[in-house]
Amino acid sequence: MKMEELTPHIEELKRVIGESADEKQITDELNTYLNVYHVSIDAAKKGIMRKYGVDAPLFVPAASVTKKINEMTGDEKNVDLVARVVFVEEKQITARGVPKTIFSGILGDETATASFTVWDVGKMELVKGETYNFKNAYTKMWNDKLQINLGERSVAEPSETPIDAPERTISYSSEVTISELRDGIGNVTVTGKILSVEPKSITSKDETKTVFTGYIADNTGKVQFTAWNDFELKNDETVCAKNAYIKAWRGVPQLNFGDQCEISRVDAVFSNVHSGSSERSVADITKTGGGLDVMVTGAIVDVRMGSGLIKRCPNCNRSILGDECTAHGKVESVQDLRMKIVIDDGTGALTAVVNRECTEKLTGITLERAVAMARENVDQDSVCRLMEEKVLAMNVAATGNVLSDDYGPMMIVREIEKMAVDIKKEAEELMEKVEGSM
Amino acid sequence: MISRETAWRMFAGELNNSSLERKGDEEKSPTYLITPLGTKTNRVLIAGVLLEKQNIGNDEEPLWRARIEDVSGSYFVNVGRYQPEAAAAIASLETPSFVAVVGKIRTYRPDESRILVSIRPERIVRIDSETRQRIVLETAKCTWKRLNGMKAALSMPEASADDLAATGGMTKDEAEGIIEAAEFYGMPDSSRYLKLIQSSLRMLLPEREIDLGLPEDVVDIPDEIDLEERSGISDVDKEDLVLDMLGELDKDGRGAPMDDLIRKATSEGITPTELEEMTNSLMDKGLVYEPVLGRLKRI
Repeated sequence: MKMEELTPHIEELKRVIGESADEKQITDELNTYLNVYHVSIDAAKKGIMRKYGVDAPLFVPAASVTKKINEMTGDEKNVDLVARVVFVEEKQITARGVPKTIFSGILGDETATASFTVWDVGKMELVKGETYNFKNAYTKMWNDKLQINLGERSVAEPSETPIDAPERTISYSSEVTISELRDGIGNVTVTGKILSVEPKSITSKDETKTVFTGYIADNTGKVQFTAWNDFELKNDETVCAKNAYIKAWRGVPQLNFGDQCEISRVDAVFSNVHSGSSERSVADITKTGGGLDVMVTGAIVDVRMGSGLIKRCPNCNRSILGDECTAHGKVESVQDLRMKIVIDDGTGALTAVVNRECTEKLTGITLERAVAMARENVDQDSVCRLMEEKVLAMNVAATGNVLSDDYGPMMIVREIEKMAVDIKKEAEELMEKVEGSM
Repeated sequence: MISRETAWRMFAGELNNSSLERKGDEEKSPTYLITPLGTKTNRVLIAGVLLEKQNIGNDEEPLWRARIEDVSGSYFVNVGRYQPEAAAAIASLETPSFVAVVGKIRTYRPDESRILVSIRPERIVRIDSETRQRIVLETAKCTWKRLNGMKAALSMPEASADDLAATGGMTKDEAEGIIEAAEFYGMPDSSRYLKLIQSSLRMLLPEREIDLGLPEDVVDIPDEIDLEERSGISDVDKEDLVLDMLGELDKDGRGAPMDDLIRKATSEGITPTELEEMTNSLMDKGLVYEPVLGRLKRI
């Protein structure tokens, strides 16, 4: 390690050790630890501190540093900060099966704000609006956001000089349109029209609770929501939901109205509420991980194994091989048609699962005909081959929900049809563009 | 998450003109071909006329070579037994007929200075003329978009991939391809790509007399290329060849003598260095082993 890199550590040791050793001694010691024994800088510092009688905490992995909130990276193991408590509340949580009280809220300094949690409420009392010197905090990233943690070792000392952090009662909530909703963007404010809402009973932690679920839409898209309290939402009313949060299920973002959510009725009029499906490119869907009721248009570039005439278990509807269901053993199988196709729009590719009704419509092959064909040819695969001939290279518009797993995005197709392209018109348009640029 | 590679819509004139290969950044990622217009690709969707096809293998182990003509040049296509769907499909296709192909890009270097590009179809299917027109139109639109992306990038020579992605209406991946292409190929000859678009528009709009005023003396891609030479022998095929030689030269069951193998391989146009690479690769695959020093045996 170079001398200039060591300087801050030497300065720190000088400050901690004080009178017991001078700079030269400290430098020599540090050199010995690092260059003769090749221990890590943290271990070296701890060793030196203990040698000169400083009671270095045994389990503190690194000497603490002082940082501003916007300098924190989410992996600080021991950090000091001066911050104002912008907001704080007591919360009941269940940690490892044990109920526990914590404080949570927002800390702010001149540079930024971040949420924080006090895990040991006996250790400190925090008053909203006051500034404190926090010592031995640690940080983590949660949903791409910085989280400051105050644990057993942490200390909060009231600061004499209050700092000028923004006064807020609640965390930062950004205004977004529905198409912009992504997993991990934190609290959001969304304005939209309630397309549908209905009560639903759920059981959580042995408690039965009524929540309200439905769809909300604006000009850009629609999304499923869950209201965890009764906000008296009604069909067709337009609301502004402040401090809503996002949870994604397999890539599909869902909007949640929780305890901190404020719902207000607004007069905003949407010229074109997106009650229908929204057309998106595969690249865009891949980026967000999924979407509800989206439409893609592209070419069918592959028909996957497991397409054509298949057998299903009558009990669980799973597709089975032979007459053996993995869950129900030997069963009287039911025949069905389906396709697993790959749609490529030039920006990316997704797998699409097409049910019997849509398969019949797109290929013109009915289940009856498929069954007859397989019997005639004594070959289940003959159906799949005929389907391939019919649909490969076909341009289609497919609508459905898109989920994501390790193998990329997958659409459960609700509707699919051959897309007619006005070739002459589009060719003319291209010609005009090209000519215009010459 | 492993996403399937996009099938790029690309004219033969752009594909065959490419000679820059790049291994992807991530582990197990494939090798990409970067075209002069900056497309980073390992899969294409093309349409054209199947002009020639020939099975140079046999019925059990087919190896089809084919030539598919688009508006301005030829795609060279190889289908082997590892593409069973495509091999079965191509066997029953007639020449000439309209076909669409989805396939992986393969390259072959007959020597240091040349690189030949071919397509190994995953799917090949007969299409009607309307579908053919539709794919040609799509390809022309994509080529036009790429040409403009390239132009935009060249007007900002200092811009990084992030800058281009932020301003140019393209993804970062596309921007990276463009920057690499610009470095390697320099400024693309835009009249060459405009001619591809012109040819497709002439086909799509026969009643219009389209003349973009491009210099007619720009040398087109030669359309008479020896199919044999063009398609070359891929590494996998060569390894099969070496395996056959081993069987032939192993007269006493104790393995083929290395010296004989080198001689035989040289006569087939495989250099000793290439042969060594291949035998190493075959050993790694567990297909051959060395029973004694200087002898090689098939397992």
